[in-house]
Amino acid sequence: MRSKSFVLIVAVLLSFSGVQMVSAHHSFAAFDTTRQVTLTGTVREFQWTNPHCWLHIDVTNPDGQVEQWQLEALSPNVLGRLGWKKNSVKPGDKVTVLVNPTRDGGHGGALISITDATGKKIGGRE
Amino acid sequence: MTTSGPIKILISMIAALGTGAALAADGPPPGGPPMVVKHGPGPSPARLPDGRPNWTGFWVPLGGLMEAYRGPSGVEGVPGGIAVNIPHADPTAPEMKSPHKEELARLLAASARGEGLASKEALCYPPGMPKMMTMVYGMEILQTPKIIALTSEWDAASRRVWMDVKAHPPEEELEDTYVGDSIGHWEKDTLVVDTVGVRSDVSYFYGLSMDHGKTHVIERIHQTAPDILVDELTLIDDDVFVKPWVKTYTYHYRPDLHIQEYVCLDNNRNVDSEGKAK
Repeated sequence: MRSKSFVLIVAVLLSFSGVQMVSAHHSFAAFDTTRQVTLTGTVREFQWTNPHCWLHIDVTNPDGQVEQWQLEALSPNVLGRLGWKKNSVKPGDKVTVLVNPTRDGGHGGALISITDATGKKIGGRE
Repeated sequence: MTTSGPIKILISMIAALGTGAALAADGPPPGGPPMVVKHGPGPSPARLPDGRPNWTGFWVPLGGLMEAYRGPSGVEGVPGGIAVNIPHADPTAPEMKSPHKEELARLLAASARGEGLASKEALCYPPGMPKMMTMVYGMEILQTPKIIALTSEWDAASRRVWMDVKAHPPEEELEDTYVGDSIGHWEKDTLVVDTVGVRSDVSYFYGLSMDHGKTHVIERIHQTAPDILVDELTLIDDDVFVKPWVKTYTYHYRPDLHIQEYVCLDNNRNVDSEGKAK
């Protein structure tokens, strides 16, 4: 099952049912860690920044409207040690992401994993 | 061990996590497989010209975040890394006194409801002592006979242990800081560090703004293997806890890594003025 390959490495957090966690930097209470959403879209911007990297993608919903999603990831010092580079993701790239969505129902979330258009995992170590 | 209500709840929650579900920043998942450490070399030379152990280099929490992803080069028996988070409350904390006990319960309940909590760390203030010794992203040690500097990659928080100072400044002169005033001495190959003078607004818990009383930290740091450093840390705060909080941090020497820059203020875009995530 292809989705298995998604569930690797870049997780911000995964399903600690009922346990509220924080990253080294800030609380992740804003994210619903009991839910995971898979999105396919086009990269608009990738911010390789502390204290967190951010991935902005455009996702076309079933109604044909483009939703702009902003996804929070780990910090460069962690992602870099996972094999990421600052240009691992570039504007225009087609990607599929797994996220914990925000609780408010907006177009935001915590990035769990990401694959490119061919299904290859981005970043991480084999 | 006596534990307060919220802490007990957290212990039970953490215990309920399945094998491989979680990896705390400073240890393997509770109930998970035992760690089998592939030992490597320690710092070279093993001793400095003055005969003291040489710990200069980069160390990471054994089996923690920086090792979960590294697999064979680090620790066996730790599942391929997923979780990177740290619980607000630490299950090793002793029972707290009022009003701190009730305040912690109130904050944990709010967090459980999904509310963002005020946090100075989220505003990029340094973690402070003793919390910084979690060293979630790793720790660089630089050592001279007179000063031992321990720098956390998290916020580049740095503390210095003064080896040529025999006493802390008089209390009326002591200026409270995030890391406090640390003086050290060697007892054979164990570094004993005494720290006072920590600001009362340096929370003992991650992501929670909780003031405390007068902090006194005693650490006994020693090697258990060439590549393993253990900090047996005792936190004494009679205003907050009914007894000293004893914690053990274990670090793994990683010559293949080096400390990196981490400037939290760079793009701290999703917290409000109180440090609540938004």
